[in-house]
Amino acid sequence: MDCRCLLALLSLIWAGANAEVPSFPPGFDTLTAIDQGTLIFREKDRLDSGYQDLQVNLQMVLRDRRGSESRRDLQISQLEMENDGDRLLVVFDTPKAIRGTALLSYSHKAAPDDQWLYLPAHARVKKIASRNKSGPFLSSEFAYEDMALQEVEKFDYQLLGSEDCGSRTCFRVQRVPLDQYSGYSRQEVLLDHDALRVQRIEYFDRARRPLKVLTVDDYALHEDRFWKAARMHMENLQTGKSTELRWRDYRFATGLSADRDFSTNSLLRAR
Amino acid sequence: MRLTCGKPLVTLWLAVTVLLASAYGPAVAASGDRLVFGSFRSEENAENWAGRLSDLFGRRVEVERVHADDGLWYRVRSAALAPREDTRLRGLAEANDISYWRSRGTLSHADTVTSSEAGAVSGGFAQKAGRSEKPETAGDSPGTPVDMGGLSYGSAGGGFEPGARPTVTRTDLDLGLQTRSYFDRGLEGQSRFQPSLSARVDFYRAWDDESQSLTFSPFMRLDSRDDERTHFDLRELFWSRVADDWELHLGFKQVFWGVTEFYHLSDIINQTDLVEDIDGEDKLGQPMAHLSLIRDWGIVDLFMLTGFRERTFPGRDGRLRPVIPVDVDRPIYESGARDKRIDGAVRWSHHWGPLNFGLYHFSGTGRDPGFELSVKGNGDLALRPVYRVIDQTGFDGQAIFGDWLFKLEAITRSGDGDRYASATGGFERTLVGALGSRADLGLIMEYIYDERGEDAYNTFFEGDLALGARWTLNDVADTQALLGVIWDTDSDEYVLSLEASRQLGASWMLLLEGRVFGGVPSANPEATLDENLRDLSRFAALQQDDYLQLEFTRYF
Repeated sequence: MDCRCLLALLSLIWAGANAEVPSFPPGFDTLTAIDQGTLIFREKDRLDSGYQDLQVNLQMVLRDRRGSESRRDLQISQLEMENDGDRLLVVFDTPKAIRGTALLSYSHKAAPDDQWLYLPAHARVKKIASRNKSGPFLSSEFAYEDMALQEVEKFDYQLLGSEDCGSRTCFRVQRVPLDQYSGYSRQEVLLDHDALRVQRIEYFDRARRPLKVLTVDDYALHEDRFWKAARMHMENLQTGKSTELRWRDYRFATGLSADRDFSTNSLLRAR
Repeated sequence: MRLTCGKPLVTLWLAVTVLLASAYGPAVAASGDRLVFGSFRSEENAENWAGRLSDLFGRRVEVERVHADDGLWYRVRSAALAPREDTRLRGLAEANDISYWRSRGTLSHADTVTSSEAGAVSGGFAQKAGRSEKPETAGDSPGTPVDMGGLSYGSAGGGFEPGARPTVTRTDLDLGLQTRSYFDRGLEGQSRFQPSLSARVDFYRAWDDESQSLTFSPFMRLDSRDDERTHFDLRELFWSRVADDWELHLGFKQVFWGVTEFYHLSDIINQTDLVEDIDGEDKLGQPMAHLSLIRDWGIVDLFMLTGFRERTFPGRDGRLRPVIPVDVDRPIYESGARDKRIDGAVRWSHHWGPLNFGLYHFSGTGRDPGFELSVKGNGDLALRPVYRVIDQTGFDGQAIFGDWLFKLEAITRSGDGDRYASATGGFERTLVGALGSRADLGLIMEYIYDERGEDAYNTFFEGDLALGARWTLNDVADTQALLGVIWDTDSDEYVLSLEASRQLGASWMLLLEGRVFGGVPSANPEATLDENLRDLSRFAALQQDDYLQLEFTRYF
């Protein structure tokens, strides 16, 4: 039985819904691990694409070692672009001292991403150096680069094998960021065979030590087509701090447009 | 309101507005629409048709899988199109007798196809099928070949209208308690301690698919010492109409232009609210009509500034003021229309690779006044602000290379004495995770140049070097600090400044600010008027005003 049939069968058992299943070319098993890893992420990218635009509310819960909590509420909008990387707009609702602050990001497949920050206190839009991508996003354990849209072209891949992950079977794929300013030497990503949903990511710092672990839970199928997680948990292995992301109220194809909603002008009126 | 006729810029502005509006007026199609060119049972046929259309249009036409109740379909469609591209494709399609229809929200929702459109589509396809290899069509019936309207997916009952954005209303309130403590009493014995209260409301309401909105932000400060600092201002009160590629704003608004950290040279739309802070970052609401056009080649902003706002100055009992107080009640205008003159500005801004830049022209009453010495009725000396009509062309831009950020602002101004040029620029370098911590350290160096040198009456800065360090802790309290010094390399005057902030819990913020003015000759109460006047544009006036300011803000 070739891989494609196996995956189709698995998806019938587990997914049940009519979501499209991953498919790989015949002879996938005979390819090199590098080609396999790349194909897995390309296929994942294909499954994830076609959403046009989406909006979602995000709550971040930051916890330090002693367990004290701090919350942030954000609205996230995302737009699929035809010949370029996707666009992302993040508007901060709380803490109230920074409400109205907004981050606009244009991801590019080859070039460094463009990022602008809007500071409402002085009606000022500032361009941010993408060098800052390894810095913490809103003081959380997520770096800017973890929150950014991850284009397939930004990593080198290698399939390390398959293993059990909870009740499923997962690919374990290593990916190495190509950006010299990334804070990671590499990442190991576990994606389930049925729908290539990311279940876990292990991050390694520049000194190749384990740095963080991301676990992803509560996947739900949206619009019969897109698997989106409701919960993500990032734990910093070196500091003991953690950040939980709670994703709520996904909306797809809401009619957002590049000029109206994702230009530097739209930053000025983000609310 | 009196129009100043004979001022060519207003006429020019109107002409430009009309021209641009006619050339680039609002397009009919909503950006983000897709054009659908038919659906097939066979993937191969769909790919063939998509390939031919791709060649014809010179852009990729996609095949999309659609899972319908009656099985799998392959739909041929364009990607989301910008309005002008949409127009081009429809033109080509019509010229080649190719039928299409518009689709919004193709995901799990049924497309809405009106009966006439559906008819046109089927007719077109019959024609198409007649002269090419036959694409399979739904049920092989020519009458319903591409009508996806009957497909039911998921939850949406019936037609899917994207952009049905809900009405949004938000109201926020900030209350601030500020205490300024000066190291010395003022030159005229003004108090060392200056507490004040401030309030700001932010109301925002958007409706009509979020294409219209109202913003209302009044601001008020009550100062215990200075009557002039006790003031109210409409920071913002404007109505907006936002379309896909243009925006119109009418009312009192804030607009900031610039990139540098220490001196905001190119910023010109709003008047400075100087009693708030001497850093020039607090601005009075400016009444305007502002049209913004979003194009592939950048954003064009057209401003009609309807009415002039006078700069605020501390009163006799206030601090951080010239030795002779400014008489804000008796300004002198060059324009006969005084503060009713209608000013105008045009700006083009764009980003290209690592570059972001803006280029503008402003024509109107300059925001920064000169001064004329006068004697008030009671015999006190006073300075009357003099507002001249100027023309200013300006540039601001920045470029990012790795962790280096280069910045430049430059202007040239006429109407204010001889034409002159001024510029400020430099770099900021960010060290991410400085010293192995979570914190970032930004190092800033800027230079300020003014062609007029020490004769520049309206600025402290003529040939100054500015150095700064920005420390961002990246902690939960979002602690940051900026330490800076601006140093006049000729006169050795300097101003040292510190700004630090930290959140206290979820709804409080603490702000610390301090300034020290130094390197100036000691004040001479017996100084002649000429000496006093010359000192207006020097830190000498502020030498006894070193202060530390603490501000608590509560957000509701």
